[in-house]
Amino acid sequence: MVGPLFTTDSGLLYHAGKIIIIAVGLPARGKTHICRALERYLRWSGVKTQVISLGDYRRKTVGGAQQLPPDYFTFGKKSAQTAAVRKKVKDGCEQLILDFFDRGGQVAIYDANNGTRASRKEVAEKFEARGIHVVFLESVCNNNDIIEANIRSVKISSPDYRGWLPEKAVADYWSRIRDHEKYYEPVEETEWPFIRIFDVGDKIIVNRIQGYLQTKIIFFLMNIHNRFRVIYFARSGQSLIEHSYKADSDLSPAGWEYAEKLKQAVMARRAEALKERGLNPEERRLVIWTSTRLRSHHTAWPFVAPISTLSPTSMHGTVDKNQMLEINPGVWDGLSPEDARRLYPEEFERFVMDPYTFRAPRAESYHDLSVRLEPTLIELEREQEDLLIIGHASVIRCLLAYLIGLPASEVPAVEVARGDLIEVVPTSYGVRSQSFHFWSGPGRSADDEGDGDRDWEEGEDGMGGLGGGTGGKNFYENYAEDTSGKRRDSKAESEWEEFEREHHENEKGKEEQERDHDEHDDGRTVIVDSV
Amino acid sequence: MAGQDTLDGTNLPLVVTALSNEMTKSTAAGEATNPKRAQFGALGPRLKEFDQSSASSRRASRPSSPPRTVVGIGGKAPKPDYSEAKIVVAMVGLPARGKSYLSNKLQRYLQWLEYDVKVFNVGQLRRKRARQSAEVTGKKADHTAAYFSYQNDQAMQLREQLAEESLDMLIQWLKDGGNVGIHDATNSTRLRRSKILERVSKEPGIVVMYIESFCDDPAIIAANVALKVSSGDPDYKNMSKEDAERDFLNRIREYQAVYETITEEHLSHVRIVNVGDQVTMSRIHGYLQSRIVFYLMNLHLKPRSIFFSRHGESEFNVEGKIGGDSLLSPRGLEYARALPALITDNIGKDTELTVWTSSLRRTIQTGSFLPYQKLTWKSLDELDAGVCDGMTYEEIEEQYPDDYANRDDDKFNYRYRGGESYRDVVTRLEPVIMELERQENIMIIGHQAILRCLYAYFHNLPQADLPYIKIPLHTVIKLTPKAYGCDEERYPLPIGAVDTHRPKPKTPANSSAIELPISTSARDYYGDKS
Repeated sequence: MVGPLFTTDSGLLYHAGKIIIIAVGLPARGKTHICRALERYLRWSGVKTQVISLGDYRRKTVGGAQQLPPDYFTFGKKSAQTAAVRKKVKDGCEQLILDFFDRGGQVAIYDANNGTRASRKEVAEKFEARGIHVVFLESVCNNNDIIEANIRSVKISSPDYRGWLPEKAVADYWSRIRDHEKYYEPVEETEWPFIRIFDVGDKIIVNRIQGYLQTKIIFFLMNIHNRFRVIYFARSGQSLIEHSYKADSDLSPAGWEYAEKLKQAVMARRAEALKERGLNPEERRLVIWTSTRLRSHHTAWPFVAPISTLSPTSMHGTVDKNQMLEINPGVWDGLSPEDARRLYPEEFERFVMDPYTFRAPRAESYHDLSVRLEPTLIELEREQEDLLIIGHASVIRCLLAYLIGLPASEVPAVEVARGDLIEVVPTSYGVRSQSFHFWSGPGRSADDEGDGDRDWEEGEDGMGGLGGGTGGKNFYENYAEDTSGKRRDSKAESEWEEFEREHHENEKGKEEQERDHDEHDDGRTVIVDSV
Repeated sequence: MAGQDTLDGTNLPLVVTALSNEMTKSTAAGEATNPKRAQFGALGPRLKEFDQSSASSRRASRPSSPPRTVVGIGGKAPKPDYSEAKIVVAMVGLPARGKSYLSNKLQRYLQWLEYDVKVFNVGQLRRKRARQSAEVTGKKADHTAAYFSYQNDQAMQLREQLAEESLDMLIQWLKDGGNVGIHDATNSTRLRRSKILERVSKEPGIVVMYIESFCDDPAIIAANVALKVSSGDPDYKNMSKEDAERDFLNRIREYQAVYETITEEHLSHVRIVNVGDQVTMSRIHGYLQSRIVFYLMNLHLKPRSIFFSRHGESEFNVEGKIGGDSLLSPRGLEYARALPALITDNIGKDTELTVWTSSLRRTIQTGSFLPYQKLTWKSLDELDAGVCDGMTYEEIEEQYPDDYANRDDDKFNYRYRGGESYRDVVTRLEPVIMELERQENIMIIGHQAILRCLYAYFHNLPQADLPYIKIPLHTVIKLTPKAYGCDEERYPLPIGAVDTHRPKPKTPANSSAIELPISTSARDYYGDKS
């Protein structure tokens, strides 16, 4: 459901203007989970988006709960000192949001409790007065089991509770919630646009939502869920003509062998992963998606056992999706990089400068590909079962970049080697990904791509022109692996890009912290979204 | 962050580097190719050579599971399996709340996506039964407001029976292979809704979702009432407009007395207030259900028009070639220059209009003189003819006679090798339809196959006929969506152009093109038009 993407003079997408999404909800209602998922999605679509968390800001500027006055989280009359600290934190955080808009940001997601009508009105009016569209996004959950699970899995590992006994931390967090509940007012202000999500999407109420971007957001929110599942990615096997989009060639003998190996690898890894989680493999289905290309479709073939040998538990549905075709190289189809450079010098230069945005004649840019893949992505979010995607490098790259949360410009740089099984597990605030190597035969690396089409190697003489890595075969699709997809110009970064890069580095830092954490608490992040 | 089409079109290679004279090393033995010609295009010998030389590798597949093969220029791609989708959509709402409008729109949308959809309208069934009985007994049934009173026990019972009967027919139809059955009735009480749920739960594999259209905006209701009494409803035959209106308002009052809005939390439902002002969705599970809800959320009732035009005649059109990215011919350019006057005369100078073009040069060039905002959609690009891109039909027929006949045999399902089928194009255009529903005045400058698909959506034409819809060059088609379909006007400009339409072959006598649907926006009161 994505539309045409185009920038206006202001650099904003979809003529949607600037939007602030104000998260509302009691603590431990999964607000942060929703905010982060939304941020990931919008960024992938190319919208400059940022979650700004009041809790994070408070911890960064004032410190953890230990450093706060005792009445910081309780409701009722505050001491003058507390009130001053709270106001300072709030103003500082909102200034951060304004800065974000000033630097070219389009959607800010304000992650805080915003639990009373009065406080919401104040924030909403403040931003509306600056011409920013306001949307409230409330997460409602009245199921104590879900809340308790959320507290145990996420909240008590927060720095606020460093050194606490788990039971004591849980009890303390519950009392924090109880305090909030006393004054909490659900979003019922029909004069403002709002989205209310009950029990993780069981019920959704939408009020006065208009505009393209806003509608996209709703559709996305309608489709996310938090059931445990695993997503696997693998490339299709080597084909007879690796470097032609049009030929739609079949698997090479090595490709067929690869397909068998892939099945073994997936079965083995999946059994292991399910065992780790204590899940019964008999109760879990594996859904397989391929593109409509022969080589992709046929790589899934070993999974589809002959009807006579099917047992109910080995049933795998395969679906072929036309939207998952590889990136279209247009007029460069079948050309070696040398030929492309020689025949289309001007276009080639621009392509090298900016492989994400540049569209070769009649071709798709990575951006076009992302737009085309969006319906698939929504279905991917929606899918509850384990999923194996047997696809093309360019498609896997886009989907993976989305799941991991990479900025769009880095999409072409994601490396996807043939012979690796990539496992992605969505967690509370992101994903965990691992890759398993299972095949080193022909077609594994770009260098030997094309081994299967010995009769068709004449065009290879131009190889090496790109710094000697990626084969001449299919260079448009694999260009990124050679150059890391980075722009080669040294033009000064725009303010926004700088901002984004910084943010991305912060995120990376966070991921590393999480990894440290993994050993202790199963990989959950440590963000508490309350003030 | 990078990543957008710029409005100035700088991403589009408007300069074609002249390289045709440059001799390059031949890439295949004995083939002095044009270096810019697709390496595996169907015009050169490489594709055939490749297919022959690689025949042996296909034996690698296991004998128990013969895989598909593609040789030549393409093949038929089967329709995806929708057999598991079985949904009862039960409408809820007072009369004149746009239930039938929503039902019809939904039907059109899902049918376009190739789901099997049928609307079971209880009012239609009632009128049909009354007409039958009138034919037998010669007595006309009384269907004035009194009939709809909740105090009229006998009629209540009759109406209850009709609703149940219609639901039974719907379920039987689903069992016979349908995907989505729309129960278009008021279903205005909790009791009635729970009866539907009870009935449907008896059927394994069938689920029910409710769609309530709730409306308290007097303007919308008044418009719906006016439409009802002026559109030839047989219930109001031989009645003055004023009497009809009075009676209809009384009928609404009778319903209102017992109406209960949906508050049943356990029902899978969506409640739409004043055509999308507020939407509540509860327990919407399943892929198709969420698609349905999202579609309904994007609808609006504001009057608007949609203009379709193909690009002006292109150089490839003149040469009889398909695909490509050629520029306009002199006559095509003349059309582009004449377009602004036609459009502004039609909608008025100050009306807002947005022009959508594809990313191909011929559509951008055609729109270049229009004084409106223009947006470029990659998804509006012409059907990709894959290996046949840049060939003439004669060349295809000569080189691949069997494939050529094959495509004519089933054009909708035929996917060009390395390219697309019409079905693929429909999938690609789905987001465009969604956006088109949300927008107001839009002009699309597109391509033949693209406009065929879009046109079929607005007129609800079957897929088999879709590839033969006549969309001539140098003609503007204006569609005006109405409550039950679209009104259409065509404005041909007197600028000559080649005819690119290829009639469906081997069909009974000169069915050269799909005839325009007649009076498509009229309501079907007896349910016997389809």
